[in-house]
Amino acid sequence: MNPLSSNWQLADKTITSRLLIGTALYPSPQIMQEALAASESQIVTVSLRRQNPRENSGEDFWSLIKNSQYHLLPNTAGCHSVKEAITTAQMAREVFDTNWIKLEVIGDQYNLQPDPLGLIEASKELIAQGFEVFPYCTDDLVICEKLVAAGCRILMPWGAPIGTGKGLINPYALRTLRHRLPETTLIVDAGIGAPSHASFAMELGFDGVLLNTAVAEACEPVKMATAFSHAVQAGRLGFEAGLMQQRDMAQPSTPTLGTPFWHQT
Amino acid sequence: MGRLLAMQLIESGYSVSIFDQDSIESGSAAAYTAAGMLTPYTELESAEQPIYNMGLKSLKLWPKLISTLQSDLGFQQQGTLVVAHNNDKADFLKFNQQLNHKKISSDNNVKRLSRTELSEKEPELNSSFDQAIYLEDEAWLNTQKTMQALAKHLLGSGINWYAKTHVSQVHSRKITTLEKSYPFDWVIDTRGLGAKPQWQELRGVRGELVWLKAPEVKLTHMIRLMHPRYRLYVVPQLEDQLYIIGATQIESHDFSPISVRSMMELLSASYAVHSGFGEAKIIQSQTNCRPALRNNLPQVLIDNRLIKINGLFRHGFLLAPTIAQEVTQWLNSNESYQSPFQTLFSEVA
Repeated sequence: MNPLSSNWQLADKTITSRLLIGTALYPSPQIMQEALAASESQIVTVSLRRQNPRENSGEDFWSLIKNSQYHLLPNTAGCHSVKEAITTAQMAREVFDTNWIKLEVIGDQYNLQPDPLGLIEASKELIAQGFEVFPYCTDDLVICEKLVAAGCRILMPWGAPIGTGKGLINPYALRTLRHRLPETTLIVDAGIGAPSHASFAMELGFDGVLLNTAVAEACEPVKMATAFSHAVQAGRLGFEAGLMQQRDMAQPSTPTLGTPFWHQT
Repeated sequence: MGRLLAMQLIESGYSVSIFDQDSIESGSAAAYTAAGMLTPYTELESAEQPIYNMGLKSLKLWPKLISTLQSDLGFQQQGTLVVAHNNDKADFLKFNQQLNHKKISSDNNVKRLSRTELSEKEPELNSSFDQAIYLEDEAWLNTQKTMQALAKHLLGSGINWYAKTHVSQVHSRKITTLEKSYPFDWVIDTRGLGAKPQWQELRGVRGELVWLKAPEVKLTHMIRLMHPRYRLYVVPQLEDQLYIIGATQIESHDFSPISVRSMMELLSASYAVHSGFGEAKIIQSQTNCRPALRNNLPQVLIDNRLIKINGLFRHGFLLAPTIAQEVTQWLNSNESYQSPFQTLFSEVA
């Protein structure tokens, strides 16, 4: 791990990397494993909904991740109702032996936008059942506040709809979230298409970035994972160092001492 | 894989025996539920270069094999049209990007069609597609006819065929069934997922497909629809108004029947390709698990006098002729043959 990176707390885990990465869509499991290693990520998401989890049919694939050094964050991808999401979360707890769940309750099939009301209802129930819920939500401040009130310590607002690669389409809303929820762990999830998008999210003060498609579907996933690792570190270091304030007037970095005052205007 | 290899070995003068848990006519092997696409270019969308290289070679080998078999395998070399709906243009561009990145783009067999050219090439296709990539050399065959033709050829060649025979162990020079052991000079294991107990790295990847009878559809090319959530292909079986619609790819060792969700995705996507599929009849759905290794590439593993061939994944019919030829050449050369496909062979230390 890069010596410039410092530890931080994600729920009950102390980790260093601020890049969380998905395990779907890679050309092969081997490339996935190489990309995960190159990303230096310590948290990986994994889905189970379509793998017939009742029969444990995905075990061959899951074992590639389970028997590794990563903390697993199972998700409820593909769930369109509260009931489905809760059932999937319960199965995930058994399969992966973790109380972490990245909660997805899809409200719109076209852009896979989260169902905010279902998300709040499912979060309350899962928290009551002892889960650490990572809700995938939009950047709506009021919904995010209600999720926090429901007991979520971590929120995962989207940068843009899943798989679009459009980057942070509403930086204003994301800045507002960061400003208004200073005690909540905020991770930008979905919509990240380029390393610069990840850097931007980190420069805004977000605690982490979660992505999948941009790496998995790159022409060279391992190289792209490396790029994102550097981008996330760069963005975080920039945030910690304090970004300069923008100004409208140019200001020379070379001292102007000695320049006649009538040349300084 | 096994039948094609047996055919090549017999042609090279070997005496061959086949042990198969299935009957000669049909069975549960992944080969029976494959769509029979011979599409090395299209596979580049997610497959690595060795699949393309071996696939190109197989594409040239298949006509020779068909000539030897003297049977109708439903082989068609009409090419593939790769299309995407306007909303999914990014997926189309991504495929193009992959072709460029892998330096295939300038190949003479890769043609970019405008809306007008596409309409001339495949007039029946939904007119909302405004461009296509035409992969002229790609072909397909009927896998069930192919399996039957291979069986007929092999039986005519005097092969020893132990059908409906479960192999419990394979060893160097020896095959053990539930009843007894059989000694051989060489043993070649092509059991796919049946070999998993001895090859732990193998995993099953579920695929689901649907057969439709669609009298209102007259497609003459394979269609590959690029979409963010699935890759749909339509494979016409020209003489019967039948179309194979596939396929899902799910990381799951799951042989259960097709799910409603998969069926809905396949059918709605096919309807979007051609509205005539709306009145098609669903003849059958098929599911199976393809044997894959961790790198999703095939491997020939030499272990003394035992050769294990596995990991053909979803490329069985595309890769089998090349692998069969490579293995036969290796045996013919007294094990000194250097394959041009460097990732294919490995030896147990």
